[in-house]
Amino acid sequence: MRSPGIAFWIALLLAAAGFLIVPSLILSAPVEPVMGLVQKIFYFHVPCAIMLFLSTFVCAGGSIAFLFKGSERGDRVALAAAELSVLFGICVLTSGPLWGRKAWGVWWQWDARLTSSLLLFLMMIGYLIARRYGGPAGRKLAAALGLFAAINVPLVYKSVDIWRTVHPQTTVVPKLDPRMRPAFWSAFVLMTLVWALLLTIRVRLERARTELATLRLDAEDLEEVRAS
Amino acid sequence: MKTAWNVIRRATLAVVVLAASSGVALAQQFEKVTNIPKQEIPAGRFVGIAYGIIWLAVLTYVLFVAGGLNRVNQEIADLKRRLGSKG
Repeated sequence: MRSPGIAFWIALLLAAAGFLIVPSLILSAPVEPVMGLVQKIFYFHVPCAIMLFLSTFVCAGGSIAFLFKGSERGDRVALAAAELSVLFGICVLTSGPLWGRKAWGVWWQWDARLTSSLLLFLMMIGYLIARRYGGPAGRKLAAALGLFAAINVPLVYKSVDIWRTVHPQTTVVPKLDPRMRPAFWSAFVLMTLVWALLLTIRVRLERARTELATLRLDAEDLEEVRAS
Repeated sequence: MKTAWNVIRRATLAVVVLAASSGVALAQQFEKVTNIPKQEIPAGRFVGIAYGIIWLAVLTYVLFVAGGLNRVNQEIADLKRRLGSKG
């Protein structure tokens, strides 16, 4: 098993520094006058949502490589990204209702953004279920699901502009108060680093599993040769 | 037996009618209440829970993957040793 490259260790170091810097930037950012303190959920809620979208796109890219070129590496990346979609989906779908309870007075609204986000999350869970329990065709079935999920991403993103919803529109980040930008962008960089590190170690695990399966086959062959 | 059953039914009906009518009467009486404690949702706690869930989820995933990697690497090392000694 190869040791991780220099990029991995640099990313890990930067992420560790981020864990020290980002909380202080979030605390020093001004409190939003209408929503108050609860608006500070925004600094991690939005980066988590972006990581959910990114994971879904990476999953679709890996799925395309697997479906049309038979790439095993693409399949490994797709699986790792699908798991990260579910992980960041959990983060978005729990931090959002906590913010909504305070800002809107309800935990959940069946509006376009929330419903389409939930659908995306369920599709990625569907991907993992298809892979685990889909039998011999499970990997291809899951890859097709990953592609459909990626098609859903632009719809989730634009849903707040197309339909009237209670959720803030896509203009929030571009129009962010300049004093809030350092906290937001540093949280975004930190979350991207965490995402990249998680993807790297998950792909490594899958590669190790493939190596283990090959070694087991070799061991079985050797046993058969010795027996005959 | 039948008479007793009828008595129970009538009594139950009477209780239900009484309860409903008293409910209506209560609903139509408004009383002015002063000094109600303001119901404030604790924003700080919500922010803490949200951040806690996010980092707990990430940490759990890291532990899951790291555990898996250790286990698989151990198995690979064992198999290689076995194959090396036999081959």
